Amino acid sequence: MKRFSIILFVGIGLLLLGGCSAKSVVDNAPTEAAIEATAQVTAVAEEPILTETDTCVDCHTDKQRLIDTADPVEEEAGEGESEGVG
Amino acid sequence: MAPLEPWEKVMVNEDFMDDVHGQASCTSCHAGDRFAEEKEAAHIGIIGSPDQNAQTTCGNCHNEIVTTAADSLHSSQAGYFKAMYSRSVPENHPALDEAFGNHCASCHTTCGDCHISQPNSVGGGFLDGHMVEKTPPMTRTCTACHGSRVGNEYTGKNEGFPGDVHFRQGRMNCVACHDGESMHDSKGDVDRYDGEQGPSCESCHDTVGKANDEIVQHQIHEDKLSCQTCHSIAYTSCDSCHVAVSETSGKPFFKTSATYMTFFIGRNPRQNDERPYEYVPVRHIPVDPESYAYYGEDLLTNFDLLPTWAYSTPHNIQRNTPQNESCNSCHGNADIFLTADKVRAEELEANKDIIVENVPAPIPGQ
Ligand code: HEC
Ligand code: HEC
Ligand code: HEC
Ligand code: HEC
Ligand code: HEC
Ligand code: HEC
Ligand code: HEC
Ligand code: HEC
Repeated sequence: MKRFSIILFVGIGLLLLGGCSAKSVVDNAPTEAAIEATAQVTAVAEEPILTETDTCVDCHTDKQRLIDTADPVEEEAGEGESEGVG
Repeated sequence: MAPLEPWEKVMVNEDFMDDVHGQASCTSCHAGDRFAEEKEAAHIGIIGSPDQNAQTTCGNCHNEIVTTAADSLHSSQAGYFKAMYSRSVPENHPALDEAFGNHCASCHTTCGDCHISQPNSVGGGFLDGHMVEKTPPMTRTCTACHGSRVGNEYTGKNEGFPGDVHFRQGRMNCVACHDGESMHDSKGDVDRYDGEQGPSCESCHDTVGKANDEIVQHQIHEDKLSCQTCHSIAYTSCDSCHVAVSETSGKPFFKTSATYMTFFIGRNPRQNDERPYEYVPVRHIPVDPESYAYYGEDLLTNFDLLPTWAYSTPHNIQRNTPQNESCNSCHGNADIFLTADKVRAEELEANKDIIVENVPAPIPGQ
């Protein structure tokens, strides 16, 4: 029964939120309980996606790894052929 | 400007992750794979400059700036096309477009070139660990691109010529005169001197030439001379830039045959309501009928339609200059006017409206 009422709350909450637009009147605003319930459910649902796995951040904040993986510095051959002020 | 180590160029500051700009994941702007363990795999499909498409990266939050900036000269480089096309004919545009792509497109300026990293012309690299800088630092952004002429004049790097008074005395950086709005919005201008002056000297010096101005030279000439005619010193002129693609490396390169300091007063090549002056300083620009010869024959078919001595606003303003020392250091002094003998025979036609025929007569009794 408890489970059912949560689903009901969430369902109604989502319906109400779905109807929320810039024009919506205050009467349509979800009840506090509904917001709470939505928040709980979405928090659980999103958790696995938002794990700390971001190898971009890991590497780009690690000086030694950046040094180790940097490409060898290229000779600027083409640039070197330019003469005069650019 | 000290060169950055390769790791320094790409090392993200921890503070960035707390900043509003670092809230989204790296991959939401740069693509790539944020679960990959190895660099190569992580970088597959990576977008180095997400702001090439600024509307989707910055536009959600800075919509107005992004919208106007798309047509700004920094982004469109419309001035380049005007300079090429005006001397050519439509049949030659495809060849000129190819030259533009190889030699000029790299000066296209993204949001990040002013706010996040150094431009590629100086090797790129973060300004400060990916933090978004509000005020573009002068030597690492503006003069990284505008260095050889504007930057050298402004900061006094041309030997024997002092830097601009606004730099030496006023400690002003570029942004003191070229504010954010002027950088983000060129207001439909098609080149650097189109439309209103941005900025005008008078916007700060609003008493010059007004009733209680005691400087005689200010009272006499009204709009006949631009301020720089009296207040700038010698500036850079260039000759004959040729562009080509290297046979050995396949990379584009250019050759400019000469760079030298000049100060010549010419007739105003672009006299209009916004720039009413009859006389202005003019500089030789490095265009030459054969500049784009690598890309085809006779591409600048209408070479003579634009002058090679161009309107200029040198960035080396001084209170006291050789030409404003007295009335007759200018009046009667043919050396500082662009008379026909100073123009190459093959360029006389292109500059016919710029050449000064009658140097103003000396003022008696001065
Ligand atoms: C809001 C979008 C956005 C996010 C999020 C973002 N970047 Fe960037 N990044 C940019 C832009 C814009 C530039 C500048 C490109 C240019 O100069 O035109 C840039 C430049 C870079 C550069 C190149 C520096 C250089 O000049 O050589 C690296 C490396 C980089 N970002 C890594 C990261 C990493 C790692 C993250 C995650 C921690 C990240 N970025 C998050 C937009 C973003
Ligand atoms: C998620 C919304 C968002 C996005 C996307 C975003 N910005 Fe911002 N930006 C902001 C906010 C909010 C501020 C004001 C921050 C403050 O005042 O501290 C700001 C401030 C700035 C500033 C001024 C910095 C300062 O310290 O005052 C610059 C420059 C800037 N953004 C450039 C960019 C660029 C370039 C991009 C695209 C790569 C971008 N922004 C993308 C929200 C955003
Ligand atoms: C990536 C290179 C690059 C950077 C960085 C750069 N510029 Fe430019 N700038 C250009 C190019 C290219 C043009 C010419 C566009 C044209 O003529 O079509 C230009 C044009 C201008 C103009 C004349 C047109 C206009 O919009 O008023 C001014 C003024 C100017 N830049 C000032 C600055 C200042 C100030 C900075 C630093 C805040 C700066 N630039 C940074 C490349 C750059
Ligand atoms: C004291 C004010 C002032 C300062 C400081 C200043 N400028 Fe200018 N700048 C001007 C004026 C005035 C013009 C001419 C504007 C016009 O006629 O529309 C100009 C024009 C330009 C142009 C276009 C014309 C050209 O010569 O190509 C560029 C590019 C430029 N400035 C770059 C810079 C850079 C880069 C800096 C910093 C190193 C800088 N300016 C500092 C006043 C200033
Ligand atoms: C040619 C250099 C240049 C380019 C390119 C450029 N900006 Fe700016 N931007 C400036 C300058 C100069 C300022 C003013 C800084 C100051 O007042 O200290 C500025 C200020 C800003 C601010 C802060 C505005 C405020 O009032 O606080 C934002 C946001 C911003 N820029 C976003 C962008 C975005 C987004 C792009 C790309 C569409 C972009 N800029 C491209 C030079 C540039
Ligand atoms: C953004 C405002 C601003 C603009 C635009 C500007 N100036 Fe100035 N100018 C100043 C300030 C401030 C000083 C005072 C610097 C100091 O001595 O500390 C100054 C000083 C000077 C001086 C030296 C005055 C003295 O007593 O030593 C001259 C000459 C001058 N400006 C001419 C010009 C000319 C010519 C232009 C247009 C190319 C121009 N200024 C554009 C703000 C400006
Ligand atoms: C015909 C030459 C001439 C022209 C044109 C000219 N000036 Fe001057 N200016 C002078 C002379 C001469 C002085 C005084 C130098 C001295 O004796 O120290 C001076 C002094 C100044 C000073 C410092 C004194 C003061 O009044 O604060 C400023 C600022 C200045 N000029 C700005 C400008 C501006 C802005 C323009 C364009 C609207 C301009 N000048 C046009 C010749 C000229
Ligand atoms: C940097 C150059 C320069 C300086 C300094 C200069 N002039 Fe001139 N003056 C000119 C030029 C150029 C003209 C325009 C001649 C023409 O229209 O053919 C001119 C025009 C004049 C005219 C004619 C005005 C008119 O409206 O027809 C008078 C009078 C004059 N100057 C007097 C002076 C006096 C007096 C001084 C010194 C206090 C002086 N000038 C300083 C360059 C200068």
